[in-house]
Amino acid sequence: MKKIIFILLCAVSLANAQKTGSISIHFDHVIGNEPLVLNDKKYKNADGDEFKVSLFQYFISNIRLIRKDGSTYVMPQDQSYFLIRESNKGSKTITLANIPKGKFTAISFLIGIDSARNASEIGQRKGCLDVAGEAKDMYWAWNSGYIFVKMEGTSIQSTAKNNIFMYHIGLFGGIGNKKTLNNIRYATIDFGGETLRVKDNKFVPVITIKTDASRLLNGDTNVEIAKNPTVMGGPFSAKIAENYKTMFSFAGLDKLTTDIDKNRKALGMN
Amino acid sequence: MRKETKIFLLLSGVAFLSFKSITGPELFSVPTNFPRPTYHFDSNPLSRAGVELGKTLFYDSIISSDNTVSCGSCHQQSAGFTQHGHVLSHGVNDQLTKRNSMPLFNLAWSGSFGWDGGVHDLDFFAVSPITNPVEMNESLANVLEKLRSSPQYPALFKSAFGTEEINTERFLKALSQFMLTMVSANSRYDHYMRYEGIEFTKTELEGMELFKKKCASCHSGELFTDFSFRNNGLTHLTENDFGQFEVNQNENDKFKFKVPSLRNLSYTAPYMHDGRFTTLEEVLEHYDSKVEKTDFLDKALNKDGRLGIALTPDEKQKIMVFLKTLDDEDFVKNPIFSEGSLLNPILAKNINDDLMNFKITDKTQRELLNQCVESYLKIKSAIQANKSKVAGNEAKKLMKVLAKMNIQEVSQKEFFRKYQDKLFFDAEHIFEGEQSTDHQLDHFKDLSDHLYILIASFKAYEQTLYFNQCQESAMDWLSDIPTDLFVVKNCKEIQTKILTK
Ligand code: HEC
Ligand code: HEC
Repeated sequence: MKKIIFILLCAVSLANAQKTGSISIHFDHVIGNEPLVLNDKKYKNADGDEFKVSLFQYFISNIRLIRKDGSTYVMPQDQSYFLIRESNKGSKTITLANIPKGKFTAISFLIGIDSARNASEIGQRKGCLDVAGEAKDMYWAWNSGYIFVKMEGTSIQSTAKNNIFMYHIGLFGGIGNKKTLNNIRYATIDFGGETLRVKDNKFVPVITIKTDASRLLNGDTNVEIAKNPTVMGGPFSAKIAENYKTMFSFAGLDKLTTDIDKNRKALGMN
Repeated sequence: MRKETKIFLLLSGVAFLSFKSITGPELFSVPTNFPRPTYHFDSNPLSRAGVELGKTLFYDSIISSDNTVSCGSCHQQSAGFTQHGHVLSHGVNDQLTKRNSMPLFNLAWSGSFGWDGGVHDLDFFAVSPITNPVEMNESLANVLEKLRSSPQYPALFKSAFGTEEINTERFLKALSQFMLTMVSANSRYDHYMRYEGIEFTKTELEGMELFKKKCASCHSGELFTDFSFRNNGLTHLTENDFGQFEVNQNENDKFKFKVPSLRNLSYTAPYMHDGRFTTLEEVLEHYDSKVEKTDFLDKALNKDGRLGIALTPDEKQKIMVFLKTLDDEDFVKNPIFSEGSLLNPILAKNINDDLMNFKITDKTQRELLNQCVESYLKIKSAIQANKSKVAGNEAKKLMKVLAKMNIQEVSQKEFFRKYQDKLFFDAEHIFEGEQSTDHQLDHFKDLSDHLYILIASFKAYEQTLYFNQCQESAMDWLSDIPTDLFVVKNCKEIQTKILTK
């Protein structure tokens, strides 16, 4: 018993002594080599279909930072849910606080929402997980669960009404009696030899991550919009998830910025 | 060794205590013949004020887009909290749902909800009817906004949760709290099982034996379901509804639906997910001789080379007698679950807000509208005299008169059409409900309101009319005499508005 108390005390004093800092992550949305512009810009997928995007948004969660020696810092889960929307500039830069001081060489996260939180009680669904609030268009009520990645738009090739296409990808494996597909995917992004230094709260580094929305359509499975104009719960959703798990890539590390507000301004936020 | 037992005792003591303390026996208690409930009471402990709030929300149509439909419209107590006499339920703008409404009781024991089991936690169920365009067609965010600006709700949330804040969690938890109190465990069968001085007759006992042999593999235990999803051989199922497949896309689960409880069947007709059977005779006939052999059919219904469940007429009779012992009249009549028991009655929308200042100039149209009033008064007397057939016939006449009506003035046309359609719909249901005065009454208040709005807006009455409203019994009606009591019970106060020529 005494031993346990001793260990406990140690852990507490260690945490106290350890300095922490913050980092920002900026998501830069693109289609291949071009910036993503909603509604106005025409793009082409690998299949040759022309399309425009009207909506693009996704959840990331369960963020981890990986050190040079391979060890990992796991963010407290409650603080690691983010809903990134192309239509909301502010949502594209997120800030992670209370990161232990140190050097990191890669980041990993889950694309979507983990199965535990998909099944959790209503009391644990605050902020971007609020099914009547921020998450209201990222939640399936009749088949209870979050939508992980959502892209909508139009394409001449689409066979659906008004030439629209809709890719709503979710499904976390199901609970109890209900077993479903599991479209949870992870992304690990290496900083390409650069080092992310977390020092304190005054010096806030910014990682820029490029999110290539065309990867929903191009990859192991090149999606023909004519054949699959709307994909939601069906088996084809797994192919799209398999495609988009590669949509994130490292695009730079800014070391010069000194505080969060300036960072955001530098990136044209606010 | 001794230490271990102590710790174990301590732990189980804590678990037991926490379970007891969170669910005061007055609000929710586990009937002694039931298993332990599965609902997570520890994260949503029931309180008197929470249940009261939930009940208010359940009966308030403020949670639908056009403020006409409440949870209670499709889940009516006298029908075991399903919808009276409706094969498919109707929501806002009288659109039909894809499925038969489900009875609501003993929900604390269920681990998945809906005919396809798409929702795993009772707390989340309400999001589905509220946001479904066919049911309530409202966004939950908007509902919360309406509640926040209502004069009534902030105080109710405060007594239930400590502060006036209205958020998703509190809203959903309150609805669950009320629904969890709906425990049905006082049927003859329950009294018999709990040795509460009830003996089964010989036929009832034989029926129970047969039921155990033939039905209880799926409709098992005290809740009369094993909570699984199966295909019971209903014929002609179409892609319109794939059942469990719709939520998990597993080919093996096509056309599988939840095995429903068999309690309260006398009140919950029609039966099955699509409401295809209106009587238990049809259900038993189905199991005996109509089961369809498909790839999806449950193995239990295709055993030893025989399709379905062999049942002689005598056996069918006995099973029906047994099923009757599962009716819990106490439950469907218990005032504690009714809208009438609310401590603060729901603030009714003022119907006069819908009135317009119009005039019918066309003489024939004016006469037709007055014929509608005559028909209406005849329907009313018939319902009052419990003559559902006569009321049905009169409703048919009303439909014919309505069909002839047609207003030309551009500014008034759309308004008239809207209420003409509504009246037609109400009359149609009174006509179709000619078997049951109860079902007719369900539509009578709407019929009265819609006719009142038309008559008062167009000022088309040739004689003096009275529009009566009783808050307690939630009934409105028109009359041609001043103090008309109609069928209202326990009415403390009737408000009457006079329409004079
Ligand atoms: C328009 C009619 C309608 C309205 C309004 C309605 N329901 Fe339902 N309810 C249904 C139907 C139909 C089903 C079966 C749904 C399915 O299987 O898809 C159902 C099923 C349910 C179930 C699942 C029961 C079980 O045993 O699985 C619950 C719980 C429920 N409703 C609660 C509510 C609540 C709470 C409200 C109000 C917020 C509400 N309903 C409003 C028609 C309605
Ligand atoms: C193989 C499993 C199985 C067996 C055995 C079985 N049932 Fe069912 N029962 C079901 C399923 C599944 C449903 C729901 C089907 C649907 O709606 O698609 C159902 C529905 C019903 C309903 C409709 C209830 C409602 O609320 O709509 C009744 C009544 C019923 N069964 C009675 C019986 C009786 C009586 C027996 C024995 C003669 C029996 N069942 C045997 C699986 C079974």
